[in-house]
Amino acid sequence: MSAAIVAPRGRRRTLRVPLLLFAGSAAAYFGIALWTGQPRQLEIEGIIGLLQRMVGLGIVAIGQTFVILCGSIDLSVANLISVAAVIASYIMQGQSAMMLPAVVVVLIISVAVGLVNGAIIAKLGVNPLIATLGVGLILQGLLSASFNNFAGSVPAEFQAFAYGGVGPLPYSVLGLFALALVGAWVLRATRFGAHIYAVGGNAEGARLAGIRTDLVIVQAHVICSVLAGLTGLYLASRLRSGAPWVGRDGVYDLESIAVVVIGGTLLAGGKGGVAGTLAGVLVFASLDAAFNMLGVPAFPKLALRGAIVILAVAAYAVRSKEHVA
Amino acid sequence: MPQGVQTLEMIRISKSFHGVWALENVDFDCAAGEVHAICGENGAGKSTLIKVLGGIYRADAGTLLLDGLTVSFAHPAAARRAGISIIHQELSLLAHRTVAQNVYLGLEPTRFGILDRAAMRAGTARLLTRLWSTIDPDALAGDLSVAEQQIVEIAKALAFDARILVMDEPTAALDEVDAQRLLALVRKLRQEGVAIVYISHRMSELAAIADRITVMKDGRKVVTAPVADLPIDRIVRLMVGRDLAEFYPPRSVEPPGPVLLSVAAAANRWLFNIDLEARAGEIVGIAGLEGSGKVELARAVFGDQPFERGRVTVAGKARDLTTPRMAISNGIGYLPNDRKREGLVPQRSVRDNVLLALRAFAPALWRAAGGAMTNAAADERLTALDVRAARFDGAVDHLSGGNQQKVIVGRWLARDPRILIFCEPTRGIDIAAKAAIYRIMRDLAARGRAILLVSSDLPEVIGVSDRILVMRGGRIVGECPAGASEEAVMALAVGHDCTAPSPRAVDDRAVA
Repeated sequence: MSAAIVAPRGRRRTLRVPLLLFAGSAAAYFGIALWTGQPRQLEIEGIIGLLQRMVGLGIVAIGQTFVILCGSIDLSVANLISVAAVIASYIMQGQSAMMLPAVVVVLIISVAVGLVNGAIIAKLGVNPLIATLGVGLILQGLLSASFNNFAGSVPAEFQAFAYGGVGPLPYSVLGLFALALVGAWVLRATRFGAHIYAVGGNAEGARLAGIRTDLVIVQAHVICSVLAGLTGLYLASRLRSGAPWVGRDGVYDLESIAVVVIGGTLLAGGKGGVAGTLAGVLVFASLDAAFNMLGVPAFPKLALRGAIVILAVAAYAVRSKEHVA
Repeated sequence: MPQGVQTLEMIRISKSFHGVWALENVDFDCAAGEVHAICGENGAGKSTLIKVLGGIYRADAGTLLLDGLTVSFAHPAAARRAGISIIHQELSLLAHRTVAQNVYLGLEPTRFGILDRAAMRAGTARLLTRLWSTIDPDALAGDLSVAEQQIVEIAKALAFDARILVMDEPTAALDEVDAQRLLALVRKLRQEGVAIVYISHRMSELAAIADRITVMKDGRKVVTAPVADLPIDRIVRLMVGRDLAEFYPPRSVEPPGPVLLSVAAAANRWLFNIDLEARAGEIVGIAGLEGSGKVELARAVFGDQPFERGRVTVAGKARDLTTPRMAISNGIGYLPNDRKREGLVPQRSVRDNVLLALRAFAPALWRAAGGAMTNAAADERLTALDVRAARFDGAVDHLSGGNQQKVIVGRWLARDPRILIFCEPTRGIDIAAKAAIYRIMRDLAARGRAILLVSSDLPEVIGVSDRILVMRGGRIVGECPAGASEEAVMALAVGHDCTAPSPRAVDDRAVA
């Protein structure tokens, strides 16, 4: 009775790119460790050290993945990280009783910044690049006007966040992977995740399908800002105090965007995910570790990072061209 | 025919934009198991009417009844929940998501807050089976052909138990065979009791599919009548106030002039063994199904996806056209099939768009060059082509499709090309603008240009061309004379000889 209207042409695409990046950076790390005669880097402690390098950038990059997937971008994360680190250590002043209030205040500020970013973009229709750049500058201005050096300190209990752990595994590394799993799960398995891909892939199509596109964008920005706030708390814990330049010095804004696109997420949104982002973070972390082993100064490292970003995005562009043809 | 309470009734709907009435007291209804077609020129109010129905616009006045009960929608989601689904003209699928994710977009089933992907896949498979399709629910939408994407759009519309299905030019981007299959699907849905509102510019389609037809003009309803009472020529008269006979301009009686374009034994990744000639004064039609290589042929001649082997001569001289810029230097112009993406710079003004090709070849200080690039010269060119715009310095985006196409024609005329390639020049534009484009093409031919007309609209290729090359599988498989029958062209396009079944028979087989 029913003849086929069209032939099936299903073709699944796999996680090939993240896997390739994981394998490539692991191989580079191992190779250089052996070549420079530092086999200790390959023992548990060395590997943990490598993973620990991923934490700061990793947390904020997970948030950046959410906003980029829905077609937005967040340039204010570096400044928000500084704000979070400074406010946390300023409120704590070395007293463990103030830990909870400090964390709560930082999270409230983060949510507020996310709401403001999202509202400016989704409600006022300001280009996200400009909106978040502006919000970032405002944050930095307010912060630099109030603080000009390390402000306060965090109590020893709070430093456990960065330095403590379960057996050989630091809390921070466990936290990063837990956040990554939750992030990947939200994107893959929840309705909210599906709507993020829809808004980034075709905002008008999503609206006509009945999706509240503005709410999706605001929510993604809140997630991104909260994760930036967590990164700030982590930095305060690791540095034992927060200074108004910790976010900027880490170049968390541009590097978080870089690792997201290295991981295969489209800058225009609609395609990609957390696994790729984590792979991108690992690329940068193993690059840092490798350069340390080689004893090379910081500037060539920066140049190589730039080259990797360009090569990765060019590789995706060539692939997608082949796909079109 | 309808009786008792209608599934859908719209009573005296009015809507204005900036003081201009887009709809004035329009009545419209549609019963379950009925196909009610709406036709009218662009700007007649068809799209506004269905946008009111879909909750995208709110009517200024009027009543909307579903099963006899008054409803009003605050958001497109509300209309969808009420069982109204609209398939918009521009496909809105997410290229990087799977078919199942697209079908359930915005109404994803969940279990305890978690997406129920198994249910989505199963539901999609069920919907696609109902649509006689074997598309894999896990395939990425971007990997599908246009025809397959259209099927997915229908599945998406039906996912929410749509009782009223609005289709806005669903066959505009399809070739004849896929269009016939889609019509068969529409008949099936009608049989299942769906109320279908169907908008199309293809007149033959309306006769084949509609139970009733409503003709709109200038925001008002002109007439609603059973299809049997409205022959096509009368519909056209009601829409534009003119006869169909004037639709295709008369062909030239003089023999064509010298060969302006000749392609010999040419090939590339998509095309094989292409031989063709176009002479001054003739319109050469290029017909074929979607994927037959006709668009690729146009792109190859224009140097966008150039030939890799073979010989191309332009006005007697051998030329190697490897980029569009070289093709343009050699007097070739190209009107792309995707106007919005490949033709226009949407936010720039009408004038900027008409000057685009001229400026591309102007000296660095083109503003000082004056002459053909002044505003006055641009305006003259636009006026000569009867481009209707509120202002020539306003964004070209605001123009109707027909006027946008004229702007692109004007852009090439400014370069005074010898050869012009029209690729799907009338896709999605109204009937009056179509006639204007045909006249422009014929005028250009009469003034010694060679025209290549690439089109999926069979009546158009047959009505306009002096001879028709038919393509299949990247090859030119035959040639038909002016005024050949649709069956003859289609037979070549699908690879049967002329005694093989007609397109209708092909369609019936697909249904059976």
